[in-house]
Amino acid sequence: MEILKAENLSKTYGTGEARVEALKDVSFSMARGEFAAVVGASGSGKSTLLNCIGGLDTADSGRVFLNGKDIFDMGEDERTIFRRQSIGFVFQSFHLIPELNVEQNIIFPILLDYKKPDKDRVEEILEVLGLENRRRHLPGQLSGGQQQRVAIGRAMITRPILVLADEPTGNLDSQSSRDVMDLLCKAARHYQQTVLMITHNMNLTQSADRVFQVVDGRLGELGGGR
Amino acid sequence: MKHYLDLISISAKHHKAQTRMTRFCIVLAVFLVTVIFGMADMEMRSQLVQAVRTDGSWHAGFLVNEEQEALIGARPEVKQTARYESLNYRLKDHYQIEGEETVICGFDREFLDMYPDVDIVEGTFPQSEDEAVVNENIINRLELEIGEMISLKTPQGAQIDLRITGITKNTALMAEHDAFGIFLSMDGFFALNPESTEADQEAVCFVIFRPYCNIQKAIGEISSQLGLGEEQVRQNAKVLMLLFQSRDTYLMRFYFVAGVLAVLVVAAGVFMIAASMNSNIARRTEFFGMMRCLGAVRKQIVRFVRREALSWCKTAVPAGLLAGTVVVWLLCKMLRFLSPGLFEGLPVFGISYIGLAAGTVVGVITVLLAARSPAKQAAGVSPLAAVSGNARTVQAAKRAADTRFFKVDAALGIHHAMGSRRNFFLVTGSFAFSIILFLSFSTAVDFMHHAITPLRPSAPDIYAYSEDTSNKIPSRLVDELKNYPGVKRVFGRSYGELSAFAGEKEITLTVLSYDEQQFSWAEKSLIEGSLSEVISGKGLLLVYRSGSLLKMGSSVTLLPQTGRQQVSVSGVLSDVPYNYGTSKNTGIEEEMVICSEEMFEKLTGEQDYAVLDMQLQPDAGDAQVQQLRRAVEQACGREISFSDKRIGNREAKGAGYSMAVFLYGFLVVIAMIGFFNIMNCIAMSVSARMREYGAMRAVGMEVRQLARMIWGETLTYTVCGTVFGCAVGLPLNRAFFRSLVTSRWGDAWTLPGWEFLVIVAVMSVSVCLAAAGPVRRIRQMTVVETIGR
Repeated sequence: MEILKAENLSKTYGTGEARVEALKDVSFSMARGEFAAVVGASGSGKSTLLNCIGGLDTADSGRVFLNGKDIFDMGEDERTIFRRQSIGFVFQSFHLIPELNVEQNIIFPILLDYKKPDKDRVEEILEVLGLENRRRHLPGQLSGGQQQRVAIGRAMITRPILVLADEPTGNLDSQSSRDVMDLLCKAARHYQQTVLMITHNMNLTQSADRVFQVVDGRLGELGGGR
Repeated sequence: MKHYLDLISISAKHHKAQTRMTRFCIVLAVFLVTVIFGMADMEMRSQLVQAVRTDGSWHAGFLVNEEQEALIGARPEVKQTARYESLNYRLKDHYQIEGEETVICGFDREFLDMYPDVDIVEGTFPQSEDEAVVNENIINRLELEIGEMISLKTPQGAQIDLRITGITKNTALMAEHDAFGIFLSMDGFFALNPESTEADQEAVCFVIFRPYCNIQKAIGEISSQLGLGEEQVRQNAKVLMLLFQSRDTYLMRFYFVAGVLAVLVVAAGVFMIAASMNSNIARRTEFFGMMRCLGAVRKQIVRFVRREALSWCKTAVPAGLLAGTVVVWLLCKMLRFLSPGLFEGLPVFGISYIGLAAGTVVGVITVLLAARSPAKQAAGVSPLAAVSGNARTVQAAKRAADTRFFKVDAALGIHHAMGSRRNFFLVTGSFAFSIILFLSFSTAVDFMHHAITPLRPSAPDIYAYSEDTSNKIPSRLVDELKNYPGVKRVFGRSYGELSAFAGEKEITLTVLSYDEQQFSWAEKSLIEGSLSEVISGKGLLLVYRSGSLLKMGSSVTLLPQTGRQQVSVSGVLSDVPYNYGTSKNTGIEEEMVICSEEMFEKLTGEQDYAVLDMQLQPDAGDAQVQQLRRAVEQACGREISFSDKRIGNREAKGAGYSMAVFLYGFLVVIAMIGFFNIMNCIAMSVSARMREYGAMRAVGMEVRQLARMIWGETLTYTVCGTVFGCAVGLPLNRAFFRSLVTSRWGDAWTLPGWEFLVIVAVMSVSVCLAAAGPVRRIRQMTVVETIGR
């Protein structure tokens, strides 16, 4: 079942000599539960692609359908609410909220809906992440690997249909990187979430179902990673 | 680039926007401190100009003979001396010219320098014993000219002929008493007294001391050296106060209040700079971590931060000083515009060295002190944290936000405000300081309203009065004089002294009558009870006096000739705009009460007045005053005295203007401190958390939720600042009020309602603007841009 569909996405930054075509006519689609990795050199347009798909940024042309809905057709607020309910983000530098503890950070998207989180779900996530004993800790009291696990928990709590990860292991040691990759795989395999991950590390693509490569803003598919 | 510290200037060029807020904050703090101290300095100078005009520039006066005067003049700390003596000052000693009582002043020529208002407008100072300078009253009424002779009759019956060598303006006192006045040389003055003894050759020796000498010490030394008693020494209290050389208890209290306020102003500036520095350095810890990573030792980071802070001072402090000075110039210009005659002594482009010094000290010292702790904090950043991107752009939280009682957006806002104890203390402290300053300074406005009597709406320009306070002025004159050209209002008061019983004690009451107009003015001074009973002729209004036997509700048994009458005190006034009643017999202050004209007539059988006040239109001149004078004299004969208060009023009005401009200016500046402080703090806090906000938006926070979070933070600061400000400000307001107002006029302290409303309104507007600006900016930015900040 097709969950994500990008059609002819183009994005340009700057003007004149400083003009950079970050995305050139990018089209692809992903099915439910699929785990894809995007590789490419620095400045090739990987992050721009991720930001456009996630609705953090807008494309100059083209469309992105998520679960059949065109996210660029939505207004700013509608897109924001749709994002927090349907898309989970994992960033290279975690971007946890320093004033919230582990549990609060994980349930943050639910709190933004002014809803009460499902306790069982929270316990399950904490268990999957291996952070049951750290639930009251603040981000500043955690290691980088633990912080990234919290970020993954936050990305999974609303059971989003799509998880976008931008270099999720970029700041982590090898053990933590393995843990993070295991969790992302679990999201795709166990919870049937579609995962799109950007990485520099070709080794990490081995866990992915599909591997895309971005070169000078153009997207090509390298095939299956596994 | 030759030195690692050169990075400061290079970095400053590229990150102007980042440090703009901090530089602006330093400019603002320096500006405000410069303006406040500069204004205070200018106010002191203008009050000094006023005081010198009305009281002279002398510091002390000693009643001494010629030999002693020479000893005083020889002292190293004495800059100038001048002898002065007068005769017939109260116009009762029968020194007369053409039958008119004449004030005679004898003084040395140097005395003219000490009293700029005593000016010889035409002619010269008397050189010999038989020469005199006369005032305008003599010239106009006797139609004389310089060079002509006048004959002065002494109480002993001698006739002394004097040649007029010059003309002087009427002084406020001469105008008030419509008196003749002549100035003689000191030799001429002593020659007047036929029964000359050594004691009679004594005169007051006025002294101006050299700058920076301890005047009180010098006065003490002179007094003990010459064996002078207290009654032989006088001090120019107002001038000494303005030179900070007075030891008067009330003035010492005044200095103390001024000192506390000065400390508060400096503290407000310090808070403002410290808060902005703190947040500026805190948000750049990543940069400092990077420097550590590249090999900078902790000491170098501390030096870097300090040097950078000083580099901001290089431009920000002069900018603040310049802006402050320009405002002070505008203020002087305003004073000169409001009262050109009085403030011509104020420089147009005056430099307030006190203001500049205060501004510089607050700017540089505060910046250095404020940079200390962020510098240490910056030096403590782990190099690993910096390169791994884990360095916090905002201080790491020590405890989690409480999402149990508030929604997550509001809870985060509150936590942003309260998360860092230090930041919370600095920001709420600086908010609170604005409120404390505002509440503290507002008592000075109450003080001004009490202290400057002629500014009251009831102040007469001229008045007629019977010297023995008998009610001789026909009440019908009120209606008659109202129709004269140039007259704005006419109103009279009857005067009586009645025996009465307060409880069982017999007292003498001074009783005054008021008409409706005077009652309406009195309402502002009412501190207890109501006027309605008094106006309807059923009660008395008591004038407050400490140690009074009467109080609100007291029952008084009056014993007028018309028969015993029981009346109660149904209101208390803090004061009345004229001198307090003193007994004609004992000279002791009496209880004073006010009643309606009907009641006064019922008690005394009299309906005429002892005093008739006249207020004039602004365009009324001397001709109109003469016309009124003739009308009063026609109706009452020569027994009635006439007093022209216009000069005195003008002088006091000038003093009032300058004080009002200064005080209200002060309050505006304090409100500005609060306003900019809130704007600045919120703007800095938001820009410091921009990446965090970006992350929140990325995971689904809507802009309106973000706005609520910023509102939460802003309101937390404001509410806590207001509570803290009121908790300290209200007791201070009460203490200052009691010290400056209650102790003198008896007004009870009440909650400063309008002051509170004004400052809360200013805070509220600032909060709205402070929160709205960043929210609008965030709304215009994409999430990617917000994270990228």
